This record gives sequence, C-alpha cells and structure tokens, in this order.
Amino acid sequence: MDPLTWTGSFGAFLNPIFYALVTVAAIAIVAQFVIPFVTPSGERGAITLRRGPGDYAAMAVQFALLGIIAIVVIFTLSAILGPYGISGIIGEVGARFTPVWIALIVTYAASIFYKRKLGLYGKLFDSPIGMVGFGLVMFWVFTAIFSNIIMTHDPLAQEVIMKNKVPGTPLGQDDAFPHYLFGGDSLARDVFSRMVAGSQIVIMIAPLATLFAFMVGITLGLPAGYFSGKLDTVLSFLANLILAFPVILLFYLLVTPEIVATGLPTYMAMFLFLFPLVFLTILFNSRFFTQPMKRNILIGVVLFVGGWLYLSLISQSATPVNFMGALDLFNVPGGILIVFVSVVFVNSPTVFRIVRGLALDIQTRDYVAAAQTRGEGPWYIMLWEILPNARGPLIVDFCLRIGYTTILLGTLGFFGLGLPPESPDWGTTINAGRRLLSAYPHPAIVPAVALVTMVLGLNLLADGLREESLRD
Amino acid sequence: MAKWDYDGPILEIDELSISFFTRLREIPAVMDFSCTVQPGEAMGLVGESGCGKSTVALGVMQDLGVNGRIVGGSIKFKGRDLGEMSADELRDVRGSEIAMIYQEPMASLNPAMKIGRQLMEVPMIHEGVGEKEAYERALEVVTDVKLPDPKRMLDSYPHQLSGGQQQRIVIAMALMSKPSLLILDEPTTALDVTVEAAVVELVKDLGKKYGTSMLFISHNLGLVLETCDRICVMYSGEAVETGSIEDVFDKMRHPYTQALFRSIPLPGADKSSRPLKAIPGNFPLPHERPNGCNFGPRCDYFEEGRCNQGDIKMSEVPGDDRHGSRCLKWQEVDWDAPMAITDQKEKATPGDVVLKMDNLKKYYEVAASALFGGANKKVVKANETLSFEARESETLAIVGESGCGKSTFAKVLMGLETATDGTITMLNQKIEDVPIEKRSTDTVKNVQMVFQNPFDTLNPSMTVGSQIVRALEIFGIGDSVQARRERMLELLDLVKLPRAFADRMPRQLSGGQKQRVGIARAFAGDAKIVVADEPVSALDVSVQAAVTDLLMEIQREHKTTLLFISHDLSIVRYLSDRVMVMYLGHVVELGSTEQVFAPPYHPYTEALLSAVPIADTSIEKQHIVLEGDIPSAMNPPSGCPFQTRCRWKSDVPGGLCEKEVPPQRTLADGHQIKCHLGEDVLSKMEPVIKVAAE
Repeated sequence: MDPLTWTGSFGAFLNPIFYALVTVAAIAIVAQFVIPFVTPSGERGAITLRRGPGDYAAMAVQFALLGIIAIVVIFTLSAILGPYGISGIIGEVGARFTPVWIALIVTYAASIFYKRKLGLYGKLFDSPIGMVGFGLVMFWVFTAIFSNIIMTHDPLAQEVIMKNKVPGTPLGQDDAFPHYLFGGDSLARDVFSRMVAGSQIVIMIAPLATLFAFMVGITLGLPAGYFSGKLDTVLSFLANLILAFPVILLFYLLVTPEIVATGLPTYMAMFLFLFPLVFLTILFNSRFFTQPMKRNILIGVVLFVGGWLYLSLISQSATPVNFMGALDLFNVPGGILIVFVSVVFVNSPTVFRIVRGLALDIQTRDYVAAAQTRGEGPWYIMLWEILPNARGPLIVDFCLRIGYTTILLGTLGFFGLGLPPESPDWGTTINAGRRLLSAYPHPAIVPAVALVTMVLGLNLLADGLREESLRD
Repeated sequence: MAKWDYDGPILEIDELSISFFTRLREIPAVMDFSCTVQPGEAMGLVGESGCGKSTVALGVMQDLGVNGRIVGGSIKFKGRDLGEMSADELRDVRGSEIAMIYQEPMASLNPAMKIGRQLMEVPMIHEGVGEKEAYERALEVVTDVKLPDPKRMLDSYPHQLSGGQQQRIVIAMALMSKPSLLILDEPTTALDVTVEAAVVELVKDLGKKYGTSMLFISHNLGLVLETCDRICVMYSGEAVETGSIEDVFDKMRHPYTQALFRSIPLPGADKSSRPLKAIPGNFPLPHERPNGCNFGPRCDYFEEGRCNQGDIKMSEVPGDDRHGSRCLKWQEVDWDAPMAITDQKEKATPGDVVLKMDNLKKYYEVAASALFGGANKKVVKANETLSFEARESETLAIVGESGCGKSTFAKVLMGLETATDGTITMLNQKIEDVPIEKRSTDTVKNVQMVFQNPFDTLNPSMTVGSQIVRALEIFGIGDSVQARRERMLELLDLVKLPRAFADRMPRQLSGGQKQRVGIARAFAGDAKIVVADEPVSALDVSVQAAVTDLLMEIQREHKTTLLFISHDLSIVRYLSDRVMVMYLGHVVELGSTEQVFAPPYHPYTEALLSAVPIADTSIEKQHIVLEGDIPSAMNPPSGCPFQTRCRWKSDVPGGLCEKEVPPQRTLADGHQIKCHLGEDVLSKMEPVIKVAAE
C-alpha cells in the first residue's frame, strides 16, 4: 500500500483552486478591516443602496469561504463515492465522518423547517454565528455518539512499525484499515482514532459536570440573593474563599493518593451530588404542595430514582464508602470521579455568584411582589418565579461554562491529573504528544485542534443564544 | 458652519414617510406626515405609544438607526433639506441648531463628567469658543433654568442632583447654543407632578425668552394645552388632526380626537352619572393596519365601503387657521351632539367599616454601612401617625408624590412589612404585626393588590391561565384541577378577556390586557380590600378609561373596598369617594372628594391641584409653582414636613411651621387637615380650578 498524500490524485487540479480561494479570502478579510478606516464614511448606520468597496470585500469573503467549503465537500464526496485514496487524507477523513454528516444534515433540515415552533432553540437558526457554533458542537456530539463506527483502529492498540509515523502512513496489514490517517504517536497508537475516542470522554464529562455545578450554584445562589443578609454574607464569603484558592493546587491536593485514601474526594462527592436531589425535591414540593397526591408521586419518583442513582454513584468498590453491594448500579472509575468532583467544586462558586446577582435583580419585580402578597413560600418564589426568568443568562453561561470545563479537563489531562495516562481524552493526548513536539508535531496538534473547535463552537453557540434571546 | 438666516418656517415636514426594515418585512412607522413650525411657535405632537410621534422626532434629527429609513417626503429645516445634508453638516446642525431633550434625564447626562464640563462642551465644539467664555455661558444658562447655587451645580456630578434638577440641566444644555428648534420627547414623564409643573413653566418661559421653536412630544393632552400653540394628533403612523390648540380642543373634527377627549377624566366626568367612554378595540399593529382609515374599526361613525377604501388625505377645515382633519366624513358628523350616556349607574352606598388604621407608624433603621454599621444608624420615618377608616364598597384614593410613603403603607397593609407602632384592624382582626407568612389564607385573600407596571406584573415565563390558577390553588379555591380551571375562565370573563387568552404567554398581551389579568388575579379569592397602586398610569389614555371602568364595575358587583394609590388628581376626582393626601409620610389632608377638591385646602393639596394639567380650554387654573424638590425622607425638614415649599408659611405667626408638626384638625364633618394656618386664612382661599362661564 502506498502512503496517502493530503489530497490524493484528485488534488492535482483542485489544489491550485483551493490555494487561490484561500488567498482571496485572506486578502478580502484584511480588506474588510482596513476599508472602513480609509474611505470616507457615509451616514453612520443608514442603509445605502449603492455598494461601497467594503460591501464588495464582504462579498468576496463570502464567496471565497463558500468555495473552500465546496472543495472540501467535493473531496469528501469523491472519497465516499470513488475508489479508496482518490482524494487523499482529507477525503478519507471526511468519508469516515459520514454518519456525523448525515446526522448533522438531518438535524439542521428538521430544525430549520420547524424553527418557528421551537422557541429559543429555533431562533438560534436565525443567527449565522449561532448556527456555526451549534454545528461545531453537534459535530463533536455526533462524533462521540458514532465513535465506534468512525474509529479506524483500537485507540489503545499499538503497532510497533507505526511509532511516530507521519499522517497517511500505510499499516501494511490486510485485515485492518490500510492507513493511520493522522499518523501514529510515540507509543505507536492511531492518532485519528484516539481523537475520536477522546471526544466521547469530553462530551460525557464536561456537560454533566457543568450541570452539577449549576445545580449546586442555583440551590445556594437563589436563597443568598433572595434572603440576602447574614446567609448571603456567609455563602458569598465561602464562594470567594474557593475562588481565591489556586485551582491547580486544589486539583493536585484532591488527586494525591494520600488524600484519596482518606476518602475526602468521595465525601465531597457525597455532599455535592446531594444537591440535584435537594433541588428537585424542593422544586416539586414548593409548586405542588397544594395538591398532595401529585406532590407525593413526583417526590417519591425523584427520591427513589435519584436516591438510587446517588447511592450507586457514591458507593464505590475499593473506597472507604462502599455499602451498596449487589444493588450498586455502576462504578465510576476513580480518576473520573475525582475529576468530576473537582470540576464541580471549582465551577459552582462562579455559578453561585451569577445566580445570586440575578436573584437580587429579579426579586424587585412586581410579579415577585404579587407572589409574596398572595402568601407564596420563599422557595416557590425562588424556583418558580425568579429562576425561570433568569434562564436567559444562565443558558448562555451554561454553554460558555461547558467550554471552560472542556479546557479545564484538558488542563487536568495535560498535568496528568485524574485520568489514567493511557486515556485518549484530548488533554492527556496533548500532554503525551508534547514531549516530541518539535520532531513529530502531529500527535499533539490533532487533539489540540479538536479541543479548539469544540470550545470555539460552544462560545459561538453562547454568543448566538445571547444575541437571539435579546430579540423578540 | 455658521448659522444661516431664513425668514420662512423653521421646520417644514412634507409628506414624510418613515419605515423600519426587519428581517421579515418593512414596517411603516410614519406615513404621509406633514407639519410646519413657524419661528417661535410651539407644536405639540400627541398620540398613544406606537403612533410614531418619537419616530418623527428622530427623523428630524436624521437619527433613525440601522433599520430605519426615510422612504418618502422631505424634512426642511430653515429651508434646507436635512435629507440631503452630509454627515458633517448634520453633525453641525445637531446640538447647535436643533436640540433634543429626552424622557430620562439621567440617561442623557454623562455620569462620569461634571455638569459644568458637559455644558461647556456644547459651545466649545460648535462655536469653538474658549474655555473661559464657555464657562460664563454655562453659568448664565444654569441661572436661567432657575437652579439654586449655579456655581456649585456646575461643579457637581449628575448623580448628585435630583431628577428635576437633572432635567433642568438637560434643558440648559439644549439651550447652550441658542438653537432654533427644540425637540422635547416626553420631557416630564419621569418626574413628579409638582416638579413637572415647574419644569413645564420653565420650558414655556425660556421658549419665549430665547425665541426658540419647539416640537413638544407628549401623550398628555393637558400638558400640550399648557405649553403649545398648535397641536398635531397622531394615530397609527398618521397625523389625523392638526390645528391651533383652540380649534382642536374646542372644535375637533376627527373622531379619534373626539374619542380621546371622551376617554380622559375631565372635570365634570363622574363615575356614576357621566362615566368615561373608552375607545373600543385595540391599537392596530403596524403591519396589520386596516385599509382606508386606520381608525375605522374603532370609530363610531364608520361607514362600510367608504371609510375602508383607498388612501385618505388630510383635508382642510375652512375658516380655521391651518386646521386639517384626515376624515372623510367630518363635514357630515354632528360634532356638537352630546355624548350618548349609555349606562348610568347607581351610586354605591358605603357599608360597614372594613379597614381601620389607627396611628400607624412605620420606621426603617438605615445603617450607614452594611458591614461596619451599628454606630450611626438613621431612622427613616416612612409613615407617621396614619389614621383612617375605609368602608365596604368605598373608593379611598391615596394621593402623593414619590417618597410620600404610600408604597410603604401598602406593604404594611399587605403584611410584607410589620408596623412599628399603631394598629390595623381589618374585619375585626388586628393584623398590624402579623407578617404575611403567619396570616391565615382568609386574611391573605381578603387583601390583594393590583400593581403599577403592566409589563412587570405577570411572570413572563408562565401562561396567563396558570398564573391565575396558581392564585386559586394558594387561596384554596376549587377542589380539583377542572374546578379551578373553570373558575379561572370565569375570572377571564369577569375582566372581559377572551377565554383563549388562558394559554397565552404574557408577552403576547398588550399592556391593558396584562393589567386586566393582574386584576383577575387580585380578585381570584374574592378580595374584600384591593390596593391598586397606580394601576393605569403606565397605560395609554384610551386604554386607561377601559381599565378604570372595569375596576369600578367589579368593585360595584363585589362590594370591594378599593384603595386607589395615584398621583393623578384628575382620575382621583373621577373615581374616588374619599381622598387622602400624603406628603413625606404624613397625611396632610383627608376628606370626601368634594371637600378635598374645594377650598379650604391644605397648601400642598392646593399646589398639587394646580400642577395637574387639564385638557380643557374652558378651565381657568391658578398657577402655583412649588419651589425646589421634595425633601428626602432620610433628612426631613423640622416642624411641618411641607414648610420648605409652602407659599402660605408667612401667614403663620411666630415661625411655628419650622418648630412643630401641626396637629390633625377637623374642619368639617370628616374633613381633616394637618396645617398651622388659622381659620381666617383658610376661609380666604380661592378655588384653584374654575370653569369659565360659557
């Protein structure tokens, strides 16, 4: 088998067009920035019918970008339809992601078709920024879902001859996928498959940890803002204390074997994971205490299901807290649990402060006064009058915070904390690739680009959501 | 650029059309609008929110934002077309030739710059004068707007001034370069009534002194009557009637103008014998305007096949001075026909006492700093010895400006705060020190509240129906989900909203509709006492009448006691049986409506009455302008709370006003005032409002 080039035989005539388009796009983007400074400005903000040089630059950028996308699509399609290797690495990688493309197209088509009925989610498709961000995020979500189909090799398997090989090196085995698309790393594992497998870990941990951080932050932040006074002073002080503590040092402390042995992370997990249960119980009780039947059913379900999950989560074999025995539904690997706890622990104070500020603001509204004058309890007012109306900023922050958490996971992986060294998550792989970075950059660059696109997507998505939630 | 001289009209707007462009469609905001402002003339632009009056002003300033564009017509300023000026020329004109004053004074001033600097900027930028001269000019203008201690004013930051003072500074800034045209966009809406009266007086005087033409935008007909020479009434993007104040007020020739006047409480209107007539229907959305006459669907004189066809142009009313009407039928309508009085109602007779307050006091302790407080605590006396009774099916109006303690009083009554001293007896129960969480469901549902701001009164993330159902749940009404839903639909019927609204979100409702939902929610538990905190002040005039009427009707049916908090004396006179006037936490006057609205007055009531603009040319008003602002409740004046602004103070011998709080005196049966003035002075007082002999 021959090595694959980046664009294959197909690239021979497409490459010049591709480079030309990239050059045009680059020049036009620069021009777009420069033109407003050199040309005399017309009436600011007015719509003018004749086009100025700035408008032409904007059009050039648009067409160039569309052209680049079109060429990538051609590469991908030719790889799917044509014989193996015709459009090189780019084409084959695109072809591997076929299930992701199909899922994305279906999602977009359905969402755009029904967008007027979908509330804020539908309005996201009115904003180009939001659409791009959502696309990037969903790309990695679908990659995580379909990772078993996409992966070309076992992410942990080593093939001695592939050690530090460049992208497109043939494997020389008949039964497996013929090439390592993005090359091999220093332990001769497939970089491409490890990137895909890593998405699974990141997509699973980051949103879930952020969700838990939000539960903790909301449950503490609402009363701090609503009651203010002493409670607020104490809670805010604690939050500031945690925020003031160096995060990395905190992580080092939490994962030190001696501290793990004392069970401290597990006890913290016991404490932090209790919040979702408390949150849901109060949520339903405050709303439905006027209908005891309904309330009892709802709270019963929450306590039974949630309680079991909670107990299974905190009861780990080989830790001081292990009591569930056969009823234990699942065991979370120790490293992941610690990472999870630390991420929740450092994120919740920030969420707490945001929620507290929002509660302080919203509690002055008349509908809160109306609820007070009809004798509602404080928790009803906090959870059903204040919280739903604080959702706009919270959703935006949620997206941003998943991004931070992803980076935080990367940082943790980079420092070799928490997750085992062979884990394919992006942070750990970047760390592993760092050692030979000057000689073989590809094992580190590939997961780094993955991390960048994912976080960029989340930030764009948050921007789009913020922009659209302000409109009506 | 030098100012140029021009003999013709200052502003000529000719068939102006302005549209805003959104992603979905073009929204015409102003259509075929023409008006002319002569030098020294004040033009009033009146209309409800969304009628395009502010858009006209922004069009004149050529500041329509990214989405707005002038799609037809021209705006000529002193003979030059503003639409053809370059950006540089416009920049020169704005601020020096055309100045604009906005509604919110704090938002118009740069909070990080001293007042003096901001004022001096104007001539320094536009005329390039030196710093010294600019300072002199600033000092002169600040003196002109009658601010005390002008030098200190120039040296302070905006936040150190009160709202009224800030608005005076904004006016001073607008006058700095002696503009030919001054545009005032609701300049006094954010101010208290007595402060508003002073600012309006000032604007009028300065307009005369500087010879400035004015474009005065307001929703308040009374204010326009007091300030302007000519008026232009707008409806849904079009000018419907224009003319001199006298012509339009006395000889209106458009059905909308007529309906507008019939829906505002003028003296003479009465809730039982001559009720207000609300304009039926709703204001059309810009993209849902009807064919032909925009007002057609709501008009009493509507004629099918004629009024809803084609474009209707402005037509001149012959004989009057530039008086025009955009109505096809104005020559056929009998404009002098008296208003058809449809439903006269029996005056309700007050029943037993349901609420009694005795010597109620509410003090707040304010620490200087939250963290290290303790040493210098200040006591704010929000309510001082409040005593009154309210009877069944009676309307008691509580009148006062901001800081008078009316909201604190409502909070104490509702149980959100507990009283410092005194008693509140409601239906023979003492509730003054029972906070709301300790009150029984019965007590809670008997006292309910209607809030001021319609956009704030409903939870934006819950459907209208579920919010009412929630109130029913809390009050323990109905034993099943179906029963409560049925009751909720009945409540929607009660406030005359379609039942389909139950599943709507609050943002899909107009302000008036939201306020109706708020009323339905308050009456969910058949409340005995309803506290209405300025329930209509944020609504448009035509909607106000409908909501007020609804409130009255429900009150009549349910024999509710209504405590109506307001600063608008016109509406208070229209609907209340008794009036309580409050100032800085004190009740200064209490009596039946007739007693309070006729002399002898408390000096503060007298000033309030004079301050309220009345949209009736046949009313003669005594002009009493109060000096200064309302003192802060943190630092009240010694003796009588009103002594700092009272014009009768010199009639009380021995400086008693500054030493002692006056005692509560009973003048006539049930008429109490808190004043040191002797009987002889009080009996000499003249009525503030006189209806001129016709």
